[in-house]
Amino acid sequence: MSETQKIGLFKYDVKNGLGLVGYNIDDHEFAHIIVDIKKCDECSHMMCVWGCPAQCYNFRDQGLEHMKFQYEDCVECGTCFILCDQGAVSWNHPRGGFGITYSHG
Amino acid sequence: MDEETDFDVIVIGAGFAGAATAFQLLKEGIEGDRILVVDRSDPIGGKNMTGGILWGRELDAFKEYLGNWEMDCPGIERCINHKKVGFLNNEDALFIEGRFASWDGTGGTEEPSQRSAWSVLRAKTDAWMAEKMEEAGIFVMAGVKIDQLNIDGLEHTSYDARDLTDPSKDSGVGKAQKWKVDSLPRDVVDKIRNGTITGIVQGGEVMTCKVVVIAEGSNSILTRAYDFDTMLHAQSKEDMLLGIKEIIHLGKERIDERFNCFPGDEERPPSGMAMELALSLYREMSHEAWEKYPNTKGLYPRCGGFFYTNEETVSCGIIVQLKSLPEGLHTYDLYQAFKAQPAIAALIEGGEAIEYGSHLCPEYGLNRMPHRFTRDGAVVVGDAAGLVFANGMQIQGMNYAIHSGKLAGAAIGNCISRKDVSAKALDATYTKSLKASFIFRDLKRFKSATKFLNHPSNFTWVPELLGKTANRVFREIGEEKIPAEKVMLKTRKELRKINKANKKGMGFFGIMRLGLLTRKL
Repeated sequence: MSETQKIGLFKYDVKNGLGLVGYNIDDHEFAHIIVDIKKCDECSHMMCVWGCPAQCYNFRDQGLEHMKFQYEDCVECGTCFILCDQGAVSWNHPRGGFGITYSHG
Repeated sequence: MDEETDFDVIVIGAGFAGAATAFQLLKEGIEGDRILVVDRSDPIGGKNMTGGILWGRELDAFKEYLGNWEMDCPGIERCINHKKVGFLNNEDALFIEGRFASWDGTGGTEEPSQRSAWSVLRAKTDAWMAEKMEEAGIFVMAGVKIDQLNIDGLEHTSYDARDLTDPSKDSGVGKAQKWKVDSLPRDVVDKIRNGTITGIVQGGEVMTCKVVVIAEGSNSILTRAYDFDTMLHAQSKEDMLLGIKEIIHLGKERIDERFNCFPGDEERPPSGMAMELALSLYREMSHEAWEKYPNTKGLYPRCGGFFYTNEETVSCGIIVQLKSLPEGLHTYDLYQAFKAQPAIAALIEGGEAIEYGSHLCPEYGLNRMPHRFTRDGAVVVGDAAGLVFANGMQIQGMNYAIHSGKLAGAAIGNCISRKDVSAKALDATYTKSLKASFIFRDLKRFKSATKFLNHPSNFTWVPELLGKTANRVFREIGEEKIPAEKVMLKTRKELRKINKANKKGMGFFGIMRLGLLTRKL
């Protein structure tokens, strides 16, 4: 048993995981999620950061002062929309044919 | 109602619920070219993600369109005859394992011999179902996302689709959350909430129909925007589970061997294993997180693990109750802990991850169902309506989706032939049959099961106590032998010392209370 396993701390290489999925990324002006990052400054919990399974939200956990959001890696699960109670997330599905495409599901 | 519409029925979403609705409409005598099924994914199925196991033979009702779906559908992977449930802590894994001859469906058993569960991969399944729909003459459009529904007497240009999901400037937090659309003139808002739905709007173009079927799945924007379900935002996290899984390629032979599967022949699909687990893997991770983010101190993530064998791959993943996620823990790291647990690591050894994905699973139960299933000219089916059942022994959603689709199809056929598609008429048929069906009976009977399932003990000390006790009872390392009961009491005492959460939950009354809750499973 390796050292990390013994103390029970685990890190998933999420970027590698996301690399296994196909995307058809839409232009910026059609981004399906829009985050009002000014509102994030006052957020005390950053639940979007912890909840998002695709690491689309990067904030104080990465040593950043302001929220940095990118929609490109989004797996369209809707977690951030549910977890954000600051009214900062405007969530919609990407335009037809855009976004993630699973080949297995 | 009398004026000509582009279609009789438009179904939004080509998942199981949407497809079942469309097939049922055909059976009701609606012409295929009067049914339109749209899906935002191109190719169809590309957005769909499940654990997942399809329970029950609901698809048999559509044999005339699907043929021998069990053998022919490429996404129906293995027939489950081997089920495991268990408890996992960082070191120990304790399973209850069942292999059931009657689940093979080959006859000669005392129990009813029937194949009734399959591991499925939805991308392939849904693409195949869409093909079958087209073969049956139904219009299917891929890559079409519906922004708005068309409402009688309201120009769709009078509000922006984005306003439906955009928080307004003066939006409060939590329950006081307001959307941009709420600040529009009163009559517009009233129309959006209660007007008669007469079609869909896509890219500024209106397509009219008599009934719209919303089968968007668990992440349904339309049910929220058009006021079926007011809960799909901040406060609904209570009953939302986030599923995260990887598809890991092992190869067919290795899976057959490793899980003792029947390899399949011309009449029978290969057999497979389904496993669901209560996880207590996160003590150290949580403690580390609490140190950095003391806001959620004392909160352990409540996670369940699942593991299903597909034909060439395995589906390995976890579901997290979003409400229980402490600050400082990434959901994907929770998955890694599951994957690295020695018992799971052994099962996927030598495999290669070929897909990563994630999906929400609504587990509203009866408390948080949409407050209505119909509107004038529209119904909601499947996951979008929150029709998912979980009691710890079984997790079912896809068969509920198919069944609700059937009921909706039958009801809509009936209503169209009577030329009355008002909410009242649809309620009297669809909602009524839904509430009389096994879906609602199950949900009612197991209403209190969530109390047990959400109980923190099941994700902290229960897996630890059971795993450790089994370990100590079965081993021989030169210790004094003592009865199993004593071992358990001793283990309990040790675990209680570890932290407060355990101390509180593991008292005599705590254990009694937990025991009493299991009666309802």
